[in-house]
Formats: sequence, structure tokens, C-alpha cells
Amino acid sequence: MKCKGRPDGSVDLVLDPAEADLLRDIPEQLSRLYEAPPDDPALQRLFPRAYLDPTEDRREQEWQALTHPELLRERLARLELVLATLARSESKGRRVKVGLGPDEVAAWLAVLNDARLAFGCRLGITDDTDVNRIEADDPLGLEKSAYAWLTMLQGVLVEALLETLPE
Amino acid sequence: MTPVASTAPAEIRDPELDESTDVDRPWIVVVWNDPVNLMVYVVWVFQKLFGFSRDKAMKLMYQVHYEGKAMVSDGTREKCEADVARLHAHGLWATMEHPS
Repeated sequence: MKCKGRPDGSVDLVLDPAEADLLRDIPEQLSRLYEAPPDDPALQRLFPRAYLDPTEDRREQEWQALTHPELLRERLARLELVLATLARSESKGRRVKVGLGPDEVAAWLAVLNDARLAFGCRLGITDDTDVNRIEADDPLGLEKSAYAWLTMLQGVLVEALLETLPE
Repeated sequence: MTPVASTAPAEIRDPELDESTDVDRPWIVVVWNDPVNLMVYVVWVFQKLFGFSRDKAMKLMYQVHYEGKAMVSDGTREKCEADVARLHAHGLWATMEHPS
């Protein structure tokens, strides 16, 4: 993966075909997760409670009823945007080139973050987890390396957008 | 922003009166530490959503990371509900509370 940022926050990405395939899978996996049963831990992490006080259940229900449809709509729109940017990518040999405008980078960041949160729940990521050290016989090795790669990509993209904000 | 409370239980107290007594006591929004969210991403979200300087956003991010949580905004209940929704839209773990 290569990433070149510009001062306005737009980014040119060059991906391997396998990296592009990994990204193409994410919108479908996330849209399925968004429809998971309410007790799914990853879903609960993406749509957490607002009210800390457990006795504020009535206000919590009102807040959920008011905001959940909008938060879901926003997430689905971001998935569409990521798919659209990947659909217009250009393949040359073993290189897939994707150009992203600043708003598209922001949408990618949020989608990558949802994907990493979902992976994090499934892999039981803690502050002490080092996904860059994976044992050869680790049954979750593939998922961990996907998580590590998504982390690297998100880090590169967020640096590109931070350049556009005041120091 | 008044939620439609079709399923709200009947109350003897008048909620409007409760609200008016809370005017001087702001709600606060707290962001909690999380093992997944990248530090630079949290800084970017704070700057983007709240217009903080880089310094202030970094300071709050480090507070979340090292102390487990940080207060990032305060105000009316409605404002805090909106701030929490924006933070959740970006995958940050935020809650709101009404300190006594």
C-alpha cells in the first residue's frame, strides 16, 4: 500500500489487489452487522448507550428512537461512498489506484473505524494486544493481520486529514 | 429537540418543571478509553466535531488514554444528546451524565 496526501486532504492510494479485495468486503460485512440482533457485542459497541445512569432508561429509549435511524442512515451512506470510490478505482497490473477527495477520506476513516471496532470485539483486542506479532498456528491469524493492515491504513489516512486542520 | 415519548410511562411529576430547575446545572459528555480507536483518529474527531485546537484535542485524547476518560463538552441536555450522537457516529465511546 502506498499513500500520497495533498494539502487539501485529498489522497492517492495504490493498493495490492488483495488489499483492495479486503476493502471491498468490508461494506457488506458491516451492513450485515448493522442488522445483527441487538445483543450482538460488536453492534452494541457501534451503537452504545448515551445515558451513563442506568436509571435514565426512559430518556435513553427516547434518545435511541430519535437518533438510531439517523446514525444508521449515516453509516449506510458511508458504506455506499466507500463502494463507489472502489468501483472507480483503476487496475494496472498488480496495482489498484484509488483517488479520494477529503470528504471521501473522512467517510473511509469512519468505515475503517467501524470495521476495526467490529474486529476488535471478535478478536478480544485489549490495550496489551500486539497484532503485529502473530503466531504461525494462530487460528485468528488472518483476521488479526487484516485488523493490523486496516489499522495502518486508517493511521495513514487520518494523518492526511490532520494536515488540513490547524496545528 | 423534544423526543416523541409514545412509550413513556405516566409520571406524577411534571417533566417540564424538572427541566427548568436544571438550567444552571449543565450535563456533561464523557469519552471513555477504548483499546481499538487510534490516538490520531481521536484527535482528528475532537478537532473536527468541536473545533478544538490541536493542543486541546491532544490533551483530551491523552486524558482519555491515561486516565480512562475525559469530559469533552457540556451544556443543556439537548446539546449533550446531540454531541453524544456525533461522537457515536464516529465510533467513539461517549456517554452523558448530570453531575450533582
